[in-house]
Amino acid sequence: MRILLVEDTHDVGEAIAKRFEATGHAVDWETNGRDAAEIIDFTEYALIILDVMLPGMDGFEILKRIRKSGNAVPVLILTARSEIDDRVGALDLGADDYLVKPFDFRELEARARVLMRRHTGGEATNLIKCGDIAVDRAARSVHVGKREVQLKRRELTLLEVLVARPGRVFSKDELLDQIFGFDEAANANAIELYIGRLRKKLEGAKAHIVTVRGLGYQLVSGDAP
Amino acid sequence: MRPEIIKNEPSLFGRLARRISVVLFIGAALLVTAAWYYAETAANKAYDRLLVGAALQMAESLSVEDGTLTARLPTSAFELLGLAERDRIFYRVIDTKGQTLTGYDDLKTPSPLDSARNVLSVEEGVYKGEPVRIARATRVLADPAVSGHAYVIVAQTNEARLALTRELTLRATILVFVMSLLAFVGAMLAIRYALQPVERLGTAVRRRDPHDLTPVTVDVPRELDPFVGSINHFMGRLNERVDLLQRFIADAAHQIRTPLTALTAQIDLLGAGKLDKAGRQHFNRVKERTSELARLTNQLLSHAMVIHRADSVQLEPISLVDVARRAYRAAIPITVDPDIVISFEAPDDRPFVLGDAVSLREAIVNVIDNALRHGTDQRLEVRVRASDTQAFVEVEDDGPGIPPESWEKATQRFATSKSHEGSSGLGFAIAQEVASAHGGTLSFRARDERGFTVVLTLPLFKGVVK
Repeated sequence: MRILLVEDTHDVGEAIAKRFEATGHAVDWETNGRDAAEIIDFTEYALIILDVMLPGMDGFEILKRIRKSGNAVPVLILTARSEIDDRVGALDLGADDYLVKPFDFRELEARARVLMRRHTGGEATNLIKCGDIAVDRAARSVHVGKREVQLKRRELTLLEVLVARPGRVFSKDELLDQIFGFDEAANANAIELYIGRLRKKLEGAKAHIVTVRGLGYQLVSGDAP
Repeated sequence: MRPEIIKNEPSLFGRLARRISVVLFIGAALLVTAAWYYAETAANKAYDRLLVGAALQMAESLSVEDGTLTARLPTSAFELLGLAERDRIFYRVIDTKGQTLTGYDDLKTPSPLDSARNVLSVEEGVYKGEPVRIARATRVLADPAVSGHAYVIVAQTNEARLALTRELTLRATILVFVMSLLAFVGAMLAIRYALQPVERLGTAVRRRDPHDLTPVTVDVPRELDPFVGSINHFMGRLNERVDLLQRFIADAAHQIRTPLTALTAQIDLLGAGKLDKAGRQHFNRVKERTSELARLTNQLLSHAMVIHRADSVQLEPISLVDVARRAYRAAIPITVDPDIVISFEAPDDRPFVLGDAVSLREAIVNVIDNALRHGTDQRLEVRVRASDTQAFVEVEDDGPGIPPESWEKATQRFATSKSHEGSSGLGFAIAQEVASAHGGTLSFRARDERGFTVVLTLPLFKGVVK
C-alpha cells in the first residue's frame, strides 16, 4: 500500500521508509512540510505518517488541512515535543494515532498496520454477542461482562468467526483459511495455539469455546441448559 | 544536611520571661528597701513627736522654788510616752550648773549638751547597751537665784518604732509582691499573645507541601514582615532555581530525543539478521539499553511536565473511566506478548474526579507500564472503581509484586529493586506526584492469590458535571 512519510530527520526517515518498504509498501518520503501538503492534495494514500516539527509547515497545520479538505486518510503523528498537550491536540485535530519519539519501530509498524486495516476494512459499526461475550467489530474491542479484554489481531479474527455463528463447529482447516488467508504459511498447530490463548483471555466468561474431538471448535453461549 | 534547629537555643518566651522576672525582682527589691526606709522615717517621726512632746512638758514643769530648781514631773508626759507600751523610758534633768537634778545620772546626749540650745533635736544613741532615741529640751531660766540653761533629756528604746516600721514595710511588701505577680502574669500573657503570630507563621511554613514554593500568605504583625519577606524572597529564588532545573531537564530530555530516535532507527536498520550468535547477543543488548534510555527520557519529560502542570493547570471534573481507558490504550503496546491476558474493567456509573486529564493519564500510563515491564507474568488487569467518597484506579498483575518493606522506597525517584535488573525509573514517582497534586494517594496492596495491586486513589467529585 502507498504510504506518505513526512519526516525531516534524515536517518529516522530512512529507517522508517526501509522498514515499510521491506514489508511490501510503497513509501513516499518528504522532508518539507509545505511540499508534503501539496502532494497530499492530489495523491491518495493508505496512511500518512507525520512528524510535528517540520520545516515549511508543521505537522499540525498539515493535519488541519487534510481534515478540512474532507480527506479521511489515516494519520499517525510522530511527536517529539515535550508537552503531552501535543498528543491530545493531535487527536483533537483528527489524528488517528500518535507515537512519542523515541519509539519502538515494531510498535510503529504494528500501529500503522492497524490503521491501514481499519481504513480499508470499511466495517460498519456492529456489535456481535454470544452470551456474555460482546465483540465490537468497529472499535475492535471485546467485552467479557463488564471487563474489556485486550485481544491480538488474529485472536480477534478467530473470535469474530466463532462468535458470528454460535454453536456451529468450525474445523481447523476452515479456521486456518479465515484467519491466515492463502498466502500465509501456517499449520493446524497455530490454530491450537490461538484457541488456547483465546480461552485464557476469555476466562471467567459464561460463553466458552468447546473442542469437538475430531471435528473442530464451537462457541457455546453458556446460557442454554 | 544541616540540623534544622539548634536545640539548645532557649525559646523567645523563655528568654523574655527570664528577663522580665529579673527586672521585676530587682524592682521589687528596690521598692521594698524604699518602703523600709519610708516606714522607718514615718515611725521615727511619729514617735519622735511624742518624745519631744514629753521632753517639752518636762522642761516646762521645771520651776524655781525658794531659789532652787525643782522638777515636778507631770504624769501626762509619762502617759504620752506610755503609748509605746513595750518601750522603756529614761530621763535626766540637768540644772543650770550641769548637775543631775533627777533621773539617770549616766544618760547623755551623743552631741554636747549646749550644741543646739534653741533646737529641739532627736538623736540616735545607745543607753545601757540598747539603741535608743534621745530627745532633749532646753529651758532658759531667768530667775535671779537660778539663771542659765536647764536641760531635760528623755530617751526611749526602739521597740515600738521597729514594730511600726516592720508592719508598714510588711504591708508595703505584700503590695509590691502582689503587683509584681500581676505584672509578671500580665507580661507572660502579653508575650504569649505577641508571639502567637510567630507560632502561626512557623506552623504555616512547617505544614507546607515541600513542593509548594508560592509565597507564604499568613497575616503577621508588622514586626514580622521582614522575616516573612525573607522567607518569600528565599522561596522565590528557590522556585526560580527549581523551575530552571526542571526546564533544563525537560530541554535536555527533549534534545536527547531526536538523536535517540535516530539511534533506534539505525539499530532497526542494522537488523540482527546478518550477525553471528555473539554479535546478535550484543546487538540485542544495545537494543534493550536503547529502549531503556528512550523510556527514561520519556519519563524525565513526563515528570517535568507533571510537576509543571501541578501548579499551573486548573483542575476540572473529568470522567476517570475515560482517562483510565485512554491511558490503558496508550500504555499497552500492540506488540505486547500475545500470551499475556490484559483486561480493563469499569463500573456502570461513571465516577468523576476533579483533575487534570493529561497528568492523570500520564500517572496511570506509568503505573501500567511499570506493571507490564516489571510485574506481569501472564495477566494484567486495570480496574476503575468508586466508593461513596473516593474513586480508584487499580492495576493488578500476577507477578511477584513489591514486598511491603520496599513500598516506601518504590515511589522514590530511580528506586531500584533487587528483583529486576536496572531501575524502575520515575514511573511510581510520577504517579505519586500526580496523586498528591490531586489530593489523592498512590498505594500498594500486598500480593494475594490473584496478584499484586497498585492503587491510585482520588477524591470523588460530587458536584454537577456539565
